[in-house]
Parts: sequence; structure tokens; C-alpha cells
Amino acid sequence: MIKTVAKPTKRNITGCGECRSTCQSACKTSCTVGNQSCERVTRESKIEKDN
Amino acid sequence: MLPCSVISMIHVFQFQDKHYVYDVGSGALHECDEKTARFLSGEKVSLSRSELDEIETLEKEGLLYAEEVKTYPKKSDKVKALCLHICHDCNLRCKYCFADEGAYHAAREMMPFGTAKTAIDFLLRESGDRTTLEVDFFGGEPLMNLDVVKQTVYYAKEEAAKRGKRFLFTTTTNGLLLNDETIKFFNEEMENVVLSLDGRKEVHDAVRKTPNGKGSFDAVIDKAKKFVQSRGDKHYYVRGTFTAKNLDFADDVLFLADQGFDSISMEPVVTDIEELKIKEEHLPIIEKEYERLCVEYIKRMQRGEGFNFFHFNVDLEGGPCLEKRISACGAGNEYFSVVPNGDLYPCHQFAGDEKWRMGSVFEGIQRQDIREEFAKNCLFTRKKCGDCFAKFICSGGCSANNQHFCGDMNDPYPLTCAMMKKRIECALHVLAQRKAFQERN
Repeated sequence: MIKTVAKPTKRNITGCGECRSTCQSACKTSCTVGNQSCERVTRESKIEKDN
Repeated sequence: MLPCSVISMIHVFQFQDKHYVYDVGSGALHECDEKTARFLSGEKVSLSRSELDEIETLEKEGLLYAEEVKTYPKKSDKVKALCLHICHDCNLRCKYCFADEGAYHAAREMMPFGTAKTAIDFLLRESGDRTTLEVDFFGGEPLMNLDVVKQTVYYAKEEAAKRGKRFLFTTTTNGLLLNDETIKFFNEEMENVVLSLDGRKEVHDAVRKTPNGKGSFDAVIDKAKKFVQSRGDKHYYVRGTFTAKNLDFADDVLFLADQGFDSISMEPVVTDIEELKIKEEHLPIIEKEYERLCVEYIKRMQRGEGFNFFHFNVDLEGGPCLEKRISACGAGNEYFSVVPNGDLYPCHQFAGDEKWRMGSVFEGIQRQDIREEFAKNCLFTRKKCGDCFAKFICSGGCSANNQHFCGDMNDPYPLTCAMMKKRIECALHVLAQRKAFQERN
């Protein structure tokens, strides 16, 4: 048995650069990009939800 | 217990009785039974036709053994963020402070408003057509220079508005000077606040001391709680440091959660102090501790008492784009630290080290050679990351840590890597368990 838990909804390759710099997050020493979300996608989903 | 293994581009691992397969190329996560996990780990295990069909279907869908995209990032030469060392002085003398207890191996000094203003002008000028810019007020303790922080925020907002840009401000503080005035200001102006607290009183007080040698826990905890209660839905993190003295740091994270803090990070110390530094022999204990935290984290989430632990976040569905994942943090190219006299360094961890001084906000970036070195930095310049399952999540780690421990920013520090991989496995398990819980309810 194998079942998919999560997969990228869209494999976005080209960056828009709108995301915040990694070092502005929580840790200031061992920040990882993967702990963040795409800010544009998050913003667009929020607008969609609000509408 | 199955061994963890990287086979081709998949990572098969076990967390308690759960078996997972993380596909590195696609970023998909699958849960499977033990037999399938053994098969995918390369063991000689017979699978039924239908079990093999499931695997083949995932392969066809590009969710298993997916080809890794190899593309070098298009590095921007626009600056997007500054870490303003608004105060190279501190009202604490934390034993592990990488910044020499706030002084950064130089005289204790405050950044004058003129320098901060020039830094804002530098960022606005060097940001090109970027619309969102970031400034982190850092120290030492930034609240010791509150007037300049305020003046800088108001100046930056005014100048940004003229240019159709906006600023996101962060302050990193030890919380000692939090009061009604500073709390109000933070809630009005700071997009994020990082508040340093190490956890249990005895752990905090052992390292976070006042200049007269007393522990600072009692002086901070109530202020921190008051601030967080007033914060509403705005971002903050309570950020702790664990050392060799508190390898049972899960108790500190849970203690902080019990105090009402619901956004927490806990970082391994970066220090050469023998009694505090994390050593290889500590690794098995630390890995177990992350597992213990993970188990309790999920239990609390299921009881409706969940909190956010920074390193257990991983967003496989809407996470950062590939460009971001391979670009790493941007230090030294699109992100700089500015010390009180206006000098520029690649990031706060390089501040004060003359060989990494890149120029100043007054004269601009003079060491283009250093900038180019950072700009070409990416996941693929870190050769040891090539066969690591975690690479598209961690991006090759922190350049400063790599430089500090290995003498080369492209040479990842194995101990940091091991902790990172464990945290990522925990984060993937949390993701799977959260989804399963949501489906059940």
C-alpha cells in the first residue's frame, strides 16, 4: 500500500522574488527556506477565499 | 526500525510505526506500509501486482522518482532587505551571544538616526523595481535605541509611499524593555517581532544574565506574555536557544507553549564555548528529543491545544518556488547587515569581521567580489548537498554557519545537516498526521 499525503499543487519554477528574505523569519541562525510559504500564493489564496 | 536511506531521488523513512516516502524531485510525500517501504529501500521484497501498479502509477504521474529540475537561479542584483544593527549594546550578557554580548568585538555604540536614514535611502535606491522591502531592527538590544527605531520607521514609510513601495519591519528583542509604549509601537508598526526566551526559568537564567550576573527570566516573562496577549493575529515568534546544557529542550518548547506562547522556535546554539557547544556525541540525544517534541506536538494539535513550532512547518503544496529553494537566503547579495557606523556585511553573523566588510551605506557596495561570491551561491554550488534528500527544503543551509564551522560557505556543517534532516522528517510526519486528523474530523 502506498498513498499520497501531499504533492505540489503547481510546480512553480520561476521566482517572482516577492517573498521575504529567509533571515527575517524566526530563527536568525538556522533558517530554512522550506519552513516558509510562497507569499504570493498565500496572498492570492486569501483574496480568493475572501471573495 | 528501518534504516533511513536515499535511493535515487526518494527518501524512505520511518517515524514510530509510520512509513513514509519523500520524493525529492517532485516534493511529494507518500505514506506506505512496511513491505512497500522495504521494497522502495531496495530490499528484496515481493510485492503483489496491484502493489506494483500503485508504484508505477505514481511514477507515471511524476510523483515518485521524479526527475530533479536542475536550473541555476536567476539571481537578482536588487537589494530587498537590511538588518539594521540599531544598537551594538545590550542590557543582557548572554553567555552564548555570537555578537560578543552585543558589542560585536568593538566599542558599544548606538546607530545614529542619520546613519539609519542613509541606510533606508540605500535600500530604496538599490531595490530597483521591488515594491516590498524589509528591515529588521537588530542588536544588541534594539529597544535601547527606541527613538532611532521610531524615527527610522516613520521616515522609511514616508519615503516608501512616495515611491509606491512598502516596508515590512521586524524587531528582534530580549523583551526587557517591553512596556505599554513599546508594545503599542510594535503592534502598530512591526510586521513581525522575534522575542528571545529560552524556556524554563533555570535554563533561561543559566545563560541569559543581566550585567550583574543575575538571571533575567523573572524580569522578562510577564512582559513577554503581556505583549503576546496584545498581539492579536499579528506575527511574532518566541525564539529560544538550546545548548549542551539543555539537550532536553523539548521541555523548554513545551514550557513556552504552556505559558501561552503559540508561535515558537528553538535553535541550536552557535558557539565555540566548550561547555555550551553542540557536539557530535549529542546528536542521538537531540534526534530523540525532536521526536519526543514531535509526538507531543501532534497530540496537542489533536486535542485542539496546538501551537506553531517553526521547524515543524513544511509546505509541500504551496511552498516556495524552485527558484527560492535553490537560491538560499540571499545574504551578501539581496540582504545585508548594517552596523552602527553604516558599514555593510553579508549578514548579522559576519558583522564586525573586517574581511567581510563590503562597503557602507554612505559609499555603497565596494566589495563586488564578495557580493559575486554570495550571488553565485546556491544549492548546486554546495556539492555535498547533491545526494541529500533535504536539499530542496533546506537549500544547503546557512552560509554563515558553513563558513564558521567549515571555513567555506559552500561546505555544509555535518552536525547542522543531521539536525536539519531530523527536523524535516518530523515536519513531514506532522504534515501527514495533520492531514489524517483533518480527514477524520
